Amino acid sequence: MHDAERWRQWPWQVIHDAPRPPLLQMALDEALLAAVAAGRRPALLRLWEWSAPAVVIGRFQSLRNEVDAAAAARHGITVVRRITGGGAMFIEPGNTITYSLIAPDRLVRGMSAGESYAFLDAWALAALAALGVAAWYQPINDITSSAGKIGGAAQTRRAGAVLHHVTMAYDIDAARMLEVLRIGREKLSDKGTASAARRVDPLRRQTGLTRGQVMAQLAASFVGTTDATPTTLEPADLAAAEALVASKFATPEWLATLP
Amino acid sequence: MNRLHGEYKQPGGKLVVVDLLVIDGRLCQVQLSGDFFLAPDEALGWLTDALEAQPADLALEPLAALLAAAAADAELLGVSPHGIATAVRRAIAAGAPDA
Repeated sequence: MHDAERWRQWPWQVIHDAPRPPLLQMALDEALLAAVAAGRRPALLRLWEWSAPAVVIGRFQSLRNEVDAAAAARHGITVVRRITGGGAMFIEPGNTITYSLIAPDRLVRGMSAGESYAFLDAWALAALAALGVAAWYQPINDITSSAGKIGGAAQTRRAGAVLHHVTMAYDIDAARMLEVLRIGREKLSDKGTASAARRVDPLRRQTGLTRGQVMAQLAASFVGTTDATPTTLEPADLAAAEALVASKFATPEWLATLP
Repeated sequence: MNRLHGEYKQPGGKLVVVDLLVIDGRLCQVQLSGDFFLAPDEALGWLTDALEAQPADLALEPLAALLAAAAADAELLGVSPHGIATAVRRAIAAGAPDA
């Protein structure tokens, strides 16, 4: 099957979501993944807006190895754990571009994990190219350009559906990031640079555009690929996510599942 | 009793971190973590359980074989049994009396 045909196997929705707090963002991914897996919702792209700063750690990361909890608390930064693997991210609302793709996993049938990452973000890389940023996939899950890392992706699958979410740096307060994230020497061992801050080169500097303009280009590129229909979250989606915040994401058992 | 800590980053892959204790020559309270991908989520427990109570002098290759068997039904991305075993050996070496 050609890539273009894969994307047009079913109708898509695109949701440019309202600003949500970090715990609800984590829960919405899980609730929407369950809804798509159960056939209660069509495949969708959700473009996120963050209402508060956060550190988001990966499903299998150690809380204390990744986060300086005292520094995060001092700056009013919520620390949350997501349902996908991958690394810790420092989120500031105006500096971050995040989206989630949720679809039946037939979308990536027959692909290796590595191939599926690049395939699922091809429309986003095309959007960046249209803005003059030549970006590519650095396996496994980094999006990078010759100027530096732009962002990263993570995936998980449940009951026949795939969640693929991406965070890109529109801008970055590197000093603040290094205060709250512990970035170890071993992690940087094959990155070819001594400076964690210099590893990231944000889109603001690379494009000179506003964050809103970059988001609009991403949405347009996705609609061009899928003919997605704009919509909003349903009250049932938000209720399911709120329930997951209370039962899971806000509990110390989840956040510190790996202390 | 000091917790021992070892890390390994597979070239082109992800970081794996091991924290453990050695009591009476055996590994215990093992925690594996990192920015790798595993499916299903329970596979982390399978890998951790495979390491519990193993002799601390078990060499890299037998450790990797134990982990490979434990992960036989799991998908690992960015990390391998050999990489995890390397982090375990580094943690143990860090705690050796003449280290």
